[in-house]
Amino acid sequence: MRQLACAIILLYFILTSCEPLVDKFEDATDAELYRAKKMSRNPVSVDQIHVMTWNIRFGAGRILWFGDSCGERVILSENEVMTHLHLIAEKIIEADPDILLLQEVDILSKRSAYIDQVQWLLDHTDLNYGAFASCWKAQFIPSDGLGRMNMGNAVLSKWPIGDTERIQLPLRGDQDALTQYFYLRRNILITKIAIPDIEDFYAVDVHTSAFAKDNTKKQHIDIFKHELDDIDAAGGYFVAGGDLNTLPPGAERTYFCVENLCPGEDPYEKEGCDFSREVTWLQGMYDDYYPAVPLDVYLSDELHHFTNTPFPDKFWQKKLDYLFSNSSWSTNSSMTHQDADRHSDHIPVSAIWEVPQ
Amino acid sequence: MKKPIIILCLILTSSAGIAGERSALEWSSGTAYMMPEGRMEIGLFHPLRYGYSKAMEFSMHPVAAFVIPNFTVKHRHSLWKGAAVSTRHSFNYPTPLLRLLSREGTGGIISPEFDIPHMIAFNNEVLISKRCAPELLLTAKAGCVVALRFGDLDDRSTIDLPIVYHRLLVFYHHWTLRSGLDLRGRLFDRWSYVFDSNVFVTPPAESGFCIENKGLILWTKSSGFELCFGYKLVYAEYPFGTQWHLLGPLFDLKWAWKLK
Repeated sequence: MRQLACAIILLYFILTSCEPLVDKFEDATDAELYRAKKMSRNPVSVDQIHVMTWNIRFGAGRILWFGDSCGERVILSENEVMTHLHLIAEKIIEADPDILLLQEVDILSKRSAYIDQVQWLLDHTDLNYGAFASCWKAQFIPSDGLGRMNMGNAVLSKWPIGDTERIQLPLRGDQDALTQYFYLRRNILITKIAIPDIEDFYAVDVHTSAFAKDNTKKQHIDIFKHELDDIDAAGGYFVAGGDLNTLPPGAERTYFCVENLCPGEDPYEKEGCDFSREVTWLQGMYDDYYPAVPLDVYLSDELHHFTNTPFPDKFWQKKLDYLFSNSSWSTNSSMTHQDADRHSDHIPVSAIWEVPQ
Repeated sequence: MKKPIIILCLILTSSAGIAGERSALEWSSGTAYMMPEGRMEIGLFHPLRYGYSKAMEFSMHPVAAFVIPNFTVKHRHSLWKGAAVSTRHSFNYPTPLLRLLSREGTGGIISPEFDIPHMIAFNNEVLISKRCAPELLLTAKAGCVVALRFGDLDDRSTIDLPIVYHRLLVFYHHWTLRSGLDLRGRLFDRWSYVFDSNVFVTPPAESGFCIENKGLILWTKSSGFELCFGYKLVYAEYPFGTQWHLLGPLFDLKWAWKLK
């Protein structure tokens, strides 16, 4: 009997304490919930909600990282990450969003000095609640010295976050099995937020495939829209967005492979730079929902709505970051914060959402 | 399908058992006992060991030595209160291996942005073995690892994995204490077991504590061949926090022969 008890205790520790090498995720799971250590007062009654989306590049700022900007850096120092997180927090405090959709947020990753960036941002801004959904979680990635990794999407909010759902998106279909095993598992993060006087309100965050050369990104966008259609059909309201990694319909320039080429790279092999066959992929989103930046406004002055460039010494070269809703945004309220040019390779986009009366 | 399994079971269990004392001396790795003079041992993962004299044996990992040169001397001392006492002194030079692992792309365990200097570690430990019961041998060990480094080593170049992290931590902080207990005994016939625990403490490090437990079942066919399998359980501090790891199944084959 004593032996059996010992065996059960040992088994308990083994089963509850050991993590898989790479987390593969179920099709739909809950997100990890967070609270700020010190809560700020949240608005009791609201007519408008300020929403912002931002790919914060795991606190790497404009450092020439090996994976996306022809750099040689892989593992950042704590000082570097903290400097960028302080910049990001300052911008968030200045913009004062009620709901913030974040992409490329690291929690306990070697490359970003093992800082839990969701908790840190909650503790250093006026946002109170958070939900995090990993899209790249591995105890060890044996490539380029990356090591331990946990990166994902996060929704931060002034109001409590209730139900959450992490929807698994299809894996890239253009990778070998070994690379795919250790690669990103992108997701849609759906959070139900308890805003006063609104019954079913959702904030939906997505980061679609950046480098797939097959139709993986198209599938991600279609699934994203399908999830929004479901919320809309059920009578709910949503604000949704993120880094969709594709261009608006009608964008003038769609090919960046030559100017984004790293030394020694072949432009035909380069990933994530040719958007020429993607120009209609967001048409359905623009047709069915309210974009924070209407298409005619964007097309009349593209330059001022660009949100991304891989290189710190170049001006923003394309728009990849979006906000949509199934109810209208306040007219002329959208902002593409191009002044935030030291914080990340993406800049935040914000807009004010009118609470339906 | 059943027939080969039955035959294998018969082979594994039929022949007469080896006397515990003789077995402990012949397969004495991890204890204070010395291997017999002139005996040579090697395993798939086990080091090459050689009984140089009744009071001294040498060992090294021959394949690993190409990328991590290493050598160990074990020396027997006089009995202490009826217990066997020996000391083990070793060095390893991991620089070539770490430089190999510091690379771009697949297989890059350490970021290529970091320089790996020449480094050498010296491990000195005392082993005391005492037979607690006719079939039970207890070994206590304690020691200190000291490392020399000929250049700067960035703190971010650590390999934050079980087993590896705490064995390399000495190169970042210059010294590590280690101690352990090894319990081995006979189950029946040719079957025996090893239950081995080790603690690593690197006091200057923020995440410098590690405890490892290894359990092995051994099948000793003769004085010339042994097979073992088991597990390793690790609880340790890492730069990201603490974590348990269950590693296994462990498996090894060992062969031995007499040189003279």
